[in-house]
Amino acid sequence: MTATVASLVIFVFLPSFFLISFTFTQWPEVYTEVFANPLIGNTNWIEIQKYLSLSLRLAISAVAIGLIFGIPLAYILARKNFWGKGFLEDITTFTLVIPTSGFGFATLIAWTSIFGVDSVYLIPVINVPFIMLVIHIALTFPYIVKTLKAKLEDMSTLFEQASGTLGSSPLTTFRKIMLPLTLPAIFSGAVLAFARSLGETGATLVVSSVYTTAPIAVIRWVSQFNFGAAAFLGSILIIVATAIILPIEFVLQKKGVSSFSIFSTLHIEKKLLKLEDFASRKLPRMRDLIVLLFIILVVVLPIIVVLNSVTLSWNSDPDTGKVTESVMYQLFGPSKYFSTLLDATFVSFASASIATYIATCIAIPTVFLIKRYRFGRFLRAILRVPLIVPTSALGLSILLLWGPEGLSLANPGIWLIILTHIVFSVPVVVEPMLATFEGSDIPLYEGASRTLGATSYNTVESVSLPLLKRGLLAGVILSFTRSLGETGATFLVMGSATTIPPLVVNMVESLAVPAALFASTYLIAISFVLLMLFRKVTTR
Amino acid sequence: MPDVKLKNVVKTFDKGRITAVDHVNLHVRDREYLTLLGPSGCGKTTTLRMIAGLDLPDEGEIFIGEELVSNLPPEYRDIGYVFQEYALFPHMDVWNNVTYGPRVKGWEEAKSDRIGREMLELVRLFERTDAFPSELSGGMRQRVALARALSSGSKLLLLDEPLGALDAKIRTALRYEIRKLVKDLQLTAIHVTHDQAEAMAISDRIAVMRKGKILQIGTPQELYLNPQHIFVANFVGESNFLEGYVADRVNHKLTVELRGGISVKSLNQNHKKGEKVVVAIRPEVLSVTKGEKSGVNSIGGNIEGFRFEGNNVRYEIRLQNEDMIVVVRPALMAEWLSVGEKITVAFPVEKSFVFSYPERGLRTELALE
Repeated sequence: MTATVASLVIFVFLPSFFLISFTFTQWPEVYTEVFANPLIGNTNWIEIQKYLSLSLRLAISAVAIGLIFGIPLAYILARKNFWGKGFLEDITTFTLVIPTSGFGFATLIAWTSIFGVDSVYLIPVINVPFIMLVIHIALTFPYIVKTLKAKLEDMSTLFEQASGTLGSSPLTTFRKIMLPLTLPAIFSGAVLAFARSLGETGATLVVSSVYTTAPIAVIRWVSQFNFGAAAFLGSILIIVATAIILPIEFVLQKKGVSSFSIFSTLHIEKKLLKLEDFASRKLPRMRDLIVLLFIILVVVLPIIVVLNSVTLSWNSDPDTGKVTESVMYQLFGPSKYFSTLLDATFVSFASASIATYIATCIAIPTVFLIKRYRFGRFLRAILRVPLIVPTSALGLSILLLWGPEGLSLANPGIWLIILTHIVFSVPVVVEPMLATFEGSDIPLYEGASRTLGATSYNTVESVSLPLLKRGLLAGVILSFTRSLGETGATFLVMGSATTIPPLVVNMVESLAVPAALFASTYLIAISFVLLMLFRKVTTR
Repeated sequence: MPDVKLKNVVKTFDKGRITAVDHVNLHVRDREYLTLLGPSGCGKTTTLRMIAGLDLPDEGEIFIGEELVSNLPPEYRDIGYVFQEYALFPHMDVWNNVTYGPRVKGWEEAKSDRIGREMLELVRLFERTDAFPSELSGGMRQRVALARALSSGSKLLLLDEPLGALDAKIRTALRYEIRKLVKDLQLTAIHVTHDQAEAMAISDRIAVMRKGKILQIGTPQELYLNPQHIFVANFVGESNFLEGYVADRVNHKLTVELRGGISVKSLNQNHKKGEKVVVAIRPEVLSVTKGEKSGVNSIGGNIEGFRFEGNNVRYEIRLQNEDMIVVVRPALMAEWLSVGEKITVAFPVEKSFVFSYPERGLRTELALE
């Protein structure tokens, strides 16, 4: 137990929170850099406000739109049976597993080439770059769908049936029965989505053009050795993420929220009921269509466009006919992107495997700590933090803690990448194991095993772990996937050993579009394989 | 030889806000089949779980044989436990479930195999050894659970509502099977149930529990013929309750005046003259005859309801003082009376029980929750 807690603290919690303590201990320097720079005064502070504001606007809009489409999608997935449901589910999971820089590039190409929207285009009123928003929606709506869907599947359909037999239309049932019961789930899904958007780096970097979000600012400042400002902004991001996650763990895990009595007091209940009855008859088909269109636009389209572009520009550019603008030329020509990609693949797989392995070793005992001890709840709550801490802030934290500037444990390179990936891999492995734990009556079987004379160790080995196998495998695959796709933190700690996602960003920045197209396709293919694996593991 | 003793055992939940088991004292004798009977939430399962070590008591002592086991983990208690939903390991087949105990105790393989075969033969499931729990019927799962619990060779078998999840017919059949097994193997068995018919059929003795306390322990006959507590009179079997006060007391005879000035006689159970009491009469000891008859403990009334229950018929009768009473008669023994008929009910003096009127009111005292 002590060993588990110690490794959690050293590998997971220390890196997550080190940045904050760094900001405090180095406060004079940080202050000078942010608020009173001799050359530029408080320009950095003004910029920080600007970047944070864009990040917040982006996150709020992405979550709002994600909710509009995510709630009906979750309902359809949880309650309806139809042809292609498995496929729809896969697509919903896809953006969770895909390396974001590849997907970001795919989205960029799709919208520029088909609709002619470029990455500079700003949506009026909310002042959010359009493509950036589309990407953030695509990357965050699965959190809303997954959380709500899980809750709905968990919830007995009995209540809905009862409501139906009492004469309420499906929409009324949804408002009066399901919404109140699932509101906590919707809310926590939204918070996860919000945190994800706030920390998103990989895809955002690819489409950022002239705009800068907070996590990207961290990366830019670090590359300019402007550590003070980067640490300050990173700390703010960590604190914001922690502050919104911890309350839902402790307050909102309770039961449903009581119904919206406000409607009845406003005397519009009757009209509302009629409207819902009418809409319930007319709406379902429209709902299905809109949801489908949404999925196609934000997820399927980018993938198809990229695949198409790769084939079109395989030997030469389809518009100009230039051979130098072809996939083949850039891969095997003087720029030798193919061998770089191979090297990156090696680094990616090696670091993902090692990080996942170490994380799993820490995660297994952690699951039992969480379930057996009183402080487990608290442990579980703070384990959420590394999941939502913006990865660029995490990378900076690691760099300052273990890197040459700090304890000098490792130089930027594969080992530092591994240390970084362990931080978020531990909670990624723990979460599905906990879900399996809760869904499978483990305490009952453990009790049964012990009445038969098995010691605790025997029980864990022969009963609990085999029952948790599914969750463990799911966690391992998710952790591997996440590690493979991570961009923000890796950027800061990788030194000269690059992994695939940052390579894609570099390709885009050096305008090697065909090479980026190929690398994106490559990433999509890898995530597809991993997704299939994940599906095989998680479905019976 | 395992007898089980509980001394002043207390268990609270929710930081002491709920007292599940409240100073329970109990002695289960060696080779006895004892049932903990009570409505849900009475603390019977918690008591059993504490005997097994699945829950630990807040206060008090638990002995298995001569050994004090209060804080001993379940794996060192040498018990067999059958769970309510069986808790068969879903990832192991029947064979591995049944031989799990011997294997984790590190017994020799030959011995484990022999025990596994014996146990499966005992519950007649030998041909299903490689089936997984999900492929078995409820009754089969129950028998596997039983075989698994017995495989450790323990002489103490703990059963938590072992028949609760089964169909009525299978339930009655398995009842006798379990009892026979326990007796054949000379085990001590503690069985938890809320089904009084099951408790009556299976037990040597029954402990009736309510709100964390044991109200009465005795053989099924004792509980039925001589309930010491008004709750027991109602929960074990069935009873009519008539309110009144003691009008007279001569030696061993008691005259109770019911509402409407009706007098009935009963045997004295230490009640003072003038005390408010409740007379309990079982529906099956009451006789019903047509017309108005006079005699000891005869009360006139009117049939308001009639129900045919197969082996019995059930009359709902409004007595002349407006009290309602239920009478159950064997269906084939006499001509049935019909609704609206004027009748007289009567009962023998020695077959009624008199209880002090409960302080908290009759309804609260009889409530199941």
